[in-house]
Amino acid sequence: MAEAVLERTVVVATAKPAPKRTAPIVPERSVAGRTLVLLIAIMTFLSGVTLGGVVLVQKSAIAWSSDVGREVTIQIRPVEGEVMDSNIRTAIALAEATPGVTDAHAISLEDSEKLLEPWLGSGLDLSQLEIPRLIVVELGDPKEVDLPKLEADLKSVKGATLETHAAWRQQLNTMAGTLVFSGVLVLVLIVLATVLAVVFATRGTMASNREIVDVLHFIGASNSFIAGEFQGRFLALGLRGGVIGGLGAVAFFFLIAGAAGSLMPEQQSAQLGFLFGRFSLGIDGILGIAAVIPVIAALTAITSRLTVRRFLSQTSGL
Amino acid sequence: MIEFSNVGLRYGHGPEILRDLTFRIEPGSFHFLTGPSGSGKTSLLRLLLLSLRPSRGTLTMFGRNVSALDHDSLLDMRRHIGIVFQEFRLLEHLTTFENVALPLRVLGQPESAYRSNVTELLEWVGLGERMDALPALLSGGEKQRAAIARAVIGRPDILLADEPTGNVDSELSLRLVRLFAELNKLGTTIILATHELSLLDAFKFPHMTLNDGRVTMNG
Repeated sequence: MAEAVLERTVVVATAKPAPKRTAPIVPERSVAGRTLVLLIAIMTFLSGVTLGGVVLVQKSAIAWSSDVGREVTIQIRPVEGEVMDSNIRTAIALAEATPGVTDAHAISLEDSEKLLEPWLGSGLDLSQLEIPRLIVVELGDPKEVDLPKLEADLKSVKGATLETHAAWRQQLNTMAGTLVFSGVLVLVLIVLATVLAVVFATRGTMASNREIVDVLHFIGASNSFIAGEFQGRFLALGLRGGVIGGLGAVAFFFLIAGAAGSLMPEQQSAQLGFLFGRFSLGIDGILGIAAVIPVIAALTAITSRLTVRRFLSQTSGL
Repeated sequence: MIEFSNVGLRYGHGPEILRDLTFRIEPGSFHFLTGPSGSGKTSLLRLLLLSLRPSRGTLTMFGRNVSALDHDSLLDMRRHIGIVFQEFRLLEHLTTFENVALPLRVLGQPESAYRSNVTELLEWVGLGERMDALPALLSGGEKQRAAIARAVIGRPDILLADEPTGNVDSELSLRLVRLFAELNKLGTTIILATHELSLLDAFKFPHMTLNDGRVTMNG
């Protein structure tokens, strides 16, 4: 146009340098920035903590199940007229003769005292009490061990019973499955809440930028172009909030792990460590939380784009 | 280029704002559009801008019935139409240069491709020294010239102007209409809505008068 215009005018134009940086069509401050970044950061943090919790529970459940599954216990109760040490030796021999068993050993009296300490207190002389003795039977491949045969063989030892921990394992697996399912449900709810929050934020932004949208329509901008301008702004906000929330979640787990190791008494720390693997997410857990960041950012961008497109289709007049 | 045939327009289930409009506008012509407030000037311009579709009758632009066009075709047609408003409607956070370049930017052109064209056009409308100024720092006349430049930078075939002189003094009004006349000489079809009868006297272009939703062609 300008060339044609200049052909018919006596004005000789002198080209001047244009502004160095082209300002965004949607001004940065016009999008409800800080509030939305904070909201997305909180949502990402909650998603990260939930995901990390799910990872911790699942890893611990697998470890529990694996550890418990590789051991069975023979309990020898004191029976009048029976010699405990002899029964222990017989039970160990029967266990070692069972296919698939790699080792069988009795828990010493000292170790038994330590096991009972939390309930009976320390400093007790258990030699005065007749307490059941335990034999730990370690298994190679749990699937190949003939436990029914071992159970049948142990009937020859008076007072001996076989504990396979099957009921415990079942309970642990059920509990872990419930926790994982609950965690996934919470994640879904957080995602839904994020989508709704972004929808409202986008509608507010569109309403406050109605003049820009109208002008863009008048000059021939397509709905796709306008939606892209707003989507870019929301993607940037989503990424910023996601990074803040994601880093917060990772820092949270490091802090918890540090606190569990240093603030708690050794015994409690050990018990927590047994239950939750010392809150160590591992590289896969951290990568999982890192993956939440682009997911939340993309979710924000897609949601805002769809909301903008819907808004534009209602207002463009075309 | 533009042909109205028994066109009527109503908003929703309300009364007809425009009635039985039948007229033709030839390419390269200049028309004033006059009429009292509420006579339907803005509605007629919105029809021409394709923001509205006729409630009845046939509106043909560029040889095509606009009522039968799909969204993409309407959008494509709208890019051949420029619009200037009384209240300028410049984007306050963009400089004069950026406002004028906006129609090219939305078409996906890089700044390097349109920089010289925009600069030359700004020089031509007398805003060469005000390229980096934000609209808040421009006078009313400067804003309107920037708005006109934005409307014509995409080389539209039709330029619509809705009371473009409503916010400037009479001397500047004459200068702005002269600018429109210059653009018309270059081949752009101009339809300029105004209620200033002095402009009709100063420029001997034909004018359409809207009254009670009906149009009368003069000159």
